[in-house]
Amino acid sequence: MTGSDRTSPAFDINATVVGDQLVLALRGELDIHAAPDLSGYLDTVISQGHVNIALDLSELDFLDASGLSVIAGETIRLKLSGGSLIIRDASVQISHLLDITGFTKMISVEEPETTLGPPGRLGPEEPGHPHNSPGDSGGPELTQQLRTVTSIPSNDEVVDGALRLVVSLARATVGGADGVSVSLRRRGHLSTVAASDQTITEMDVGQYASGEGPCVDAAAEGRWFHAGSLADETRWPDFVPKAQALGINAILSSPLLAHDVPVGALNIYSRTTNAFAPKDQELASIFASEASTILGDAGLDITEEQLASKLAEVLRTRQVIALAQGVLMERDGVGEHDAYTALRRFSVEHGSPLSQRARDIVESAHRPHRGPGPRPSCTVCGRPVEIPGATVCSSECFDRQVGIHHAGDDG
Amino acid sequence: MASGPPDGLDVYRQNADLTHGELWLRYFELGGMSTHLQLEAFLYGALRPTTHDHDVIAHALNERFSEMGGDHPVPYLGDEQVS
Repeated sequence: MTGSDRTSPAFDINATVVGDQLVLALRGELDIHAAPDLSGYLDTVISQGHVNIALDLSELDFLDASGLSVIAGETIRLKLSGGSLIIRDASVQISHLLDITGFTKMISVEEPETTLGPPGRLGPEEPGHPHNSPGDSGGPELTQQLRTVTSIPSNDEVVDGALRLVVSLARATVGGADGVSVSLRRRGHLSTVAASDQTITEMDVGQYASGEGPCVDAAAEGRWFHAGSLADETRWPDFVPKAQALGINAILSSPLLAHDVPVGALNIYSRTTNAFAPKDQELASIFASEASTILGDAGLDITEEQLASKLAEVLRTRQVIALAQGVLMERDGVGEHDAYTALRRFSVEHGSPLSQRARDIVESAHRPHRGPGPRPSCTVCGRPVEIPGATVCSSECFDRQVGIHHAGDDG
Repeated sequence: MASGPPDGLDVYRQNADLTHGELWLRYFELGGMSTHLQLEAFLYGALRPTTHDHDVIAHALNERFSEMGGDHPVPYLGDEQVS
């Protein structure tokens, strides 16, 4: 079988049989308009007995969540029937989309034969390496940079698109599912970022407003909440009657975790009491895990509070290493980099973290100032600084400098 | 871990199961001074780090491999120059 078999204005499928494999070359734009074409085409060829299918994407210019949804759904279907679906020769952009949505973990993707170079967007914004003094603890620029690499990504739309995909897959594959949604905590508030329909969104919003319900609890506590029969449910007295009024009788809320921190929930609703068999609960778990992977990859993992705490921890370690370098420079009369190399070699030889060695050196270095000239003053409390290279006199002053407050601190 | 990847810091990063952001945090914590973008450029070979910068990246990766139960597969340029 070969030839151009299916066309729409901007999408075309060309089929070729190679051995026992059916190769479908997709051309053009696989979007919400073309996705049903592909779905119908795959249904037809699978019903004709083709179970080993390769999608050649070398001439596919565009792929969105609806197209991905069809591919992922058919992949699951073929796997269950002992067949396979693989993707080959995707463009860099489409490969990136498959990566960021976590689909490369689920779908076999063959690399193109030509090796691609590194991304072209990289390049120095400024030459050389700005060099802060050992006592420099960063400031707003650092906070911004830390936020860039650890906090909510700028590509919320991509993440939301991937989550909508998870919702549509869960809706299609979990038995008994009449509605599915994903709740996500962003900027301190839970909101529904993907839902199979408006009724489901309203039910979620009702939970956020009252602060109770399986979705809110799963997102807060990071564990499962399964209500098989709302008629017998006593945990959420405000929410349950509203859900029943909308015709819902069973709910399964799975936590979404990013780097082990609960950040939201995948909610599956059913009109049927006890709708979720163990197999369906297992499927829900797989989709929650998939959504968590997407969130983890996107870096959507850290609240403002956690960010501040992580920043303080990183800065503290960095400061201790800088202090230890100063001690070694003073004690051994070596340069900055040689001092660092000594720390690093000790770490390698003893199999202990470099930061631990630095702490040991700093703790053993409380001795009077012996260098030339006056001792510098602590930038926090003004007392003399005993440790060479340091800008603060103690770990307590360092904590104050970077904004760590202890119980009993004034203000 | 004895026979690590032949070359390329980014290959080590992938084997260490770290995102670029996670590696940058570790590198910064160990005293690294380059930006997130500069670090990515070092990893891909688009920019050449100083020997010191390279060794801070290498150590951040090696400490990660240690946490994963391996040894230190990423070589240090500073040590090669000394010996």
